[in-house]
Amino acid sequence: MLQSMFWAIAGLSAMPFVLGGEFFILGLGVASLLFALIMFLVALGVLWRRRWARRCVIVVEIICLIGSLLLLALPIGANHGPVSLMTNVLLPVAVFVLLRKPREAFV
Amino acid sequence: MFDIATDHAIGLLAALVALPVAALVLRFQQGWSAASGTVQAAAVLMATSGVVHLALIGHHIAQHPVTAALFLVNGLAFIGLAATVRWRRWRLASTALLVATILGYLFYIAVGLEGPDQVGVATKLIELVTLGLVLVPVRGEPAKSHRALRWTSLGVALPMLTVMTASTAWIVDLARPDPRHVHAGALLQATNALPTQEQQDAANRLYAETKAAILPYQDSRKALAAGYRPEGPSNMPSSHWMNQAYVDAGYVMDPRRPQGLVYANTKHGPVLLGAMFQMKNIGQFGPDPGGPLTAWHQHENICFTPFGFEFSLMTPFATCPLGAIDVSASPMLHVWIVDNPKGGPFAVDIDDEVVKKIARA
Repeated sequence: MLQSMFWAIAGLSAMPFVLGGEFFILGLGVASLLFALIMFLVALGVLWRRRWARRCVIVVEIICLIGSLLLLALPIGANHGPVSLMTNVLLPVAVFVLLRKPREAFV
Repeated sequence: MFDIATDHAIGLLAALVALPVAALVLRFQQGWSAASGTVQAAAVLMATSGVVHLALIGHHIAQHPVTAALFLVNGLAFIGLAATVRWRRWRLASTALLVATILGYLFYIAVGLEGPDQVGVATKLIELVTLGLVLVPVRGEPAKSHRALRWTSLGVALPMLTVMTASTAWIVDLARPDPRHVHAGALLQATNALPTQEQQDAANRLYAETKAAILPYQDSRKALAAGYRPEGPSNMPSSHWMNQAYVDAGYVMDPRRPQGLVYANTKHGPVLLGAMFQMKNIGQFGPDPGGPLTAWHQHENICFTPFGFEFSLMTPFATCPLGAIDVSASPMLHVWIVDNPKGGPFAVDIDDEVVKKIARA
């Protein structure tokens, strides 16, 4: 749920730049907001112990983690601060740990 | 916002030490094994946040004794609650303390008593996560545990508090950037405060040489012939035209070979505004002959998307919109050959009004 909030904030953060004439950013902002909404619903699915939700979250977290580690490794000047590490690395790892329960716990 | 304030660095170290220690020590309290995993995790995070607050007292006590006293109370309250997870009113007290602490921080940064930095935002992030863990209902709780209210708080109040934290930190950072950040995302090179006469003369020389060298590019066809290509959307007031060969060659502040040119996009075609020197590597500022007059700047924490070659800024929680990645641009120095009354000939940005005036002319 927190991650979906972060994606929603990222989507909203793009909007002021649309006013500055960056129209592709509008698409990305809307896509981020939609993704945040979907992930919020998936989070509810996890709370209701739905197997599809667990699977979906695991896939998303793997993608997030690989992307974040790539950003950290590549020399492109990505932020390596504590907040970035917590949001983009620790949080996905924590979600993994929370979903480590046996698959049978989900229906 | 993306830096660690010198006097807050100790807080970060304290957190790194406190986290494993809290995880080890708290398990010796009564009722720990009976507590749910979320309560245990919340207690460990609260103890960590408490230690961060206590660690910051030393740097605040001399100049901000009230803040230091609040840190003391806050730190002790967090540690006290972390050590009493069996208390009947633990969830209520923890929620109240966490919300009060987050709102208190937002008040402090909003009125300018503190600046948002990585330690502050990271601590708030820990507290938001903790709040979620405290609120989330778990199986096997007694009937009178206000589950409906907690679910509502989790689904409404926590997201609202998260958005409020991010927006406050961001607005404050944009409205009151520190002296080395001219605006969000641009870090200025460290220089002396006032230019000496030699620095003033050197800046004048650089300006004159650069202006003379790029004047032929007022005809944009000559710029195209020299290898400059427009980048970014053409519907913006101005565009940077980059010369990839000069970027790759790594010329350092060569007035005859600036890595970029800046044009105003007018209905009569591109109008030359100035030149841009760019260093090859991130974090490597160029020579600074004019001292504070010719300080280079580096754009950091930019969300870049290859779709349309557009940019936005990274959020305080270090996220970018879907399809954009966080990057930094290597240091650059602009030389504006048109009058730029607000910032001068080497300003980070050209005044929007100047560009609009040129577009209307």
